[in-house]
Amino acid sequence: MALLDSNRAAASPKAPGAVPRRVGARRQDNLTAYLMIAPMVVLLGVFVMWPLAYSVYLSTFEISFYKAPKFVGAQFYKYVLESADFWHSILIGLSYALLVVPTGIVIALLLASFIKTLSKRVAAFMKVTVYLPAVVSTVIASVLFTFMYQDAGVVNWFLSLINHAPIAWLNSPQWALPAIAVPGIWLGFGITTLILLAALLDIPDSYYESAMLDGANFFQRLRYITIPLLKNVLLYLFVTGFTLAIQMLDLPLIMTNGGPTGATTTPNFYIFNSFRELTPYATSYSLTASLLLFVVLGAISIVIFRLIRSDKAVDG
Amino acid sequence: MPVGTFRRAGSAMLVVLIAVSVLFPLAWMAIAGFKGKDEVLRSPFQFFPDMWRWSNYTAILKDHTFTRAMIVTFVGALIFTVLSLVVNSMAAYAFARLEFRGKRFWWVYCIMPMFIPTMAILLTSFVVVSKLGMLNTMAVLIIPGVASAAQMFFLRQYYLNFPIAVEEAAMIDGANRWQVFLRVFLPQSAAPFVVVGIASYLAYWNAYVWPILTITDPSLTQIMQFLGTFRSDRGNDWGMLMAGSTLASLPTVLLLLIFQRYIVNGVRISGMK
Repeated sequence: MALLDSNRAAASPKAPGAVPRRVGARRQDNLTAYLMIAPMVVLLGVFVMWPLAYSVYLSTFEISFYKAPKFVGAQFYKYVLESADFWHSILIGLSYALLVVPTGIVIALLLASFIKTLSKRVAAFMKVTVYLPAVVSTVIASVLFTFMYQDAGVVNWFLSLINHAPIAWLNSPQWALPAIAVPGIWLGFGITTLILLAALLDIPDSYYESAMLDGANFFQRLRYITIPLLKNVLLYLFVTGFTLAIQMLDLPLIMTNGGPTGATTTPNFYIFNSFRELTPYATSYSLTASLLLFVVLGAISIVIFRLIRSDKAVDG
Repeated sequence: MPVGTFRRAGSAMLVVLIAVSVLFPLAWMAIAGFKGKDEVLRSPFQFFPDMWRWSNYTAILKDHTFTRAMIVTFVGALIFTVLSLVVNSMAAYAFARLEFRGKRFWWVYCIMPMFIPTMAILLTSFVVVSKLGMLNTMAVLIIPGVASAAQMFFLRQYYLNFPIAVEEAAMIDGANRWQVFLRVFLPQSAAPFVVVGIASYLAYWNAYVWPILTITDPSLTQIMQFLGTFRSDRGNDWGMLMAGSTLASLPTVLLLLIFQRYIVNGVRISGMK
């Protein structure tokens, strides 16, 4: 017990009672709160939790078109967890997310800071323009980028300008993943930019003005004003960014078909592939794999939540 | 001032550069709509068509299935967006600003769906909505996606940033929580509502797999379902697909043009000073 207590004390740097806790001073609003979350709780219950529970139930059966379902317990979980391909796909998904998410957020933050400085007219034009890639469907973007990566495509033309031999972008194990990450960033940076712009516009100008009077440069203002005040929004962008990126299916499906040698086999591509494989029990196996992917995504998100704490409201 | 001119030229160049890199693919899509069936995917890459033909565009515009799909999808997307903003912003306010019993449990319950891969519940969701007798209705397209963990999470993060002083001032004046939410938080949510609202609208507009599973009634055919027919039944007609995609993106661009103006300086903080 003593050990446990000392651990806990070490974990929280503030001594209890040293700082008056604002939350404790607020009264509870049980009824109002329940009424406010009720529609969401009910809808999620019917359209997410019920199908989820049903999927978990189904994953303990062997389902085949030819035979009656047979209860097998956690057997499929064992199969998936022992499959090297499954873990490899998780690794690919993570690498893809690491390529796409931080890069996308940095570009969006720079772009949003830039749009903020523009005149009203030009800013309006830019707000619409940056969002346009999101309007194009992933299918069309994939086709277009496949063209650009061809041996005689635009990208290799640029390489030839610096006297570099053409690269078979989508056919080389080390370049395929970065190559599909580029359209991934391109498709997503519009919404990220608008989200960051909306958040940036909420930071009062007076903060920056006084920092500039104190002689803070652009990077110091970014480090000490912008980023701390954007913490809540950044947490959202990292969590949703990782969750969506790891689940990317369309780009590898259309551009590389998971290859070469599995270099772009993301988890959902792996699941999709095991589903369309005509082996018996393909349904149960892919269902189980997607439920395990859910656990992995949840775990990654818990890590991000821990890294960026943002539970406090800002005292204005 | 030379420094000012330099800076201006620099930012003008940056605007042009970004616009070109973003608009190029869109221009390609619109121009590919003028190409023949096999011309679109021809290698090496070609930007302009051999011959400008209007036939793809006119054929689609004359097609009543297309017009109906556009209208049905647009109406559905608007209803979907409004409903999801109502449901998710209420929950977001409760999680950001109220203390209640079981808050942690309900928070995990509401945020968890964000991590569920679509594949994990796609087939069982279909079973559930068919048990509820919702197949072939507008409801099956709209209702299941209204509660969105991601959207609620976004709005909650946004509401966490609202100064406590604003809320306290209103409560000292005798407002209850509902009044604070309706009169203080909602009026100042225009920017975040536009940002997530457009995302909801697009999610509905671009939905492909779900409508294919749940809608067989031709009068409810959704726009992506319609465009999908160019890739299967009619044998990969890329020219038609590009023309159709270009036309289908117009309502969204129009909405963006109208609503971008709300993403501006927040009034709440500047108004307080």
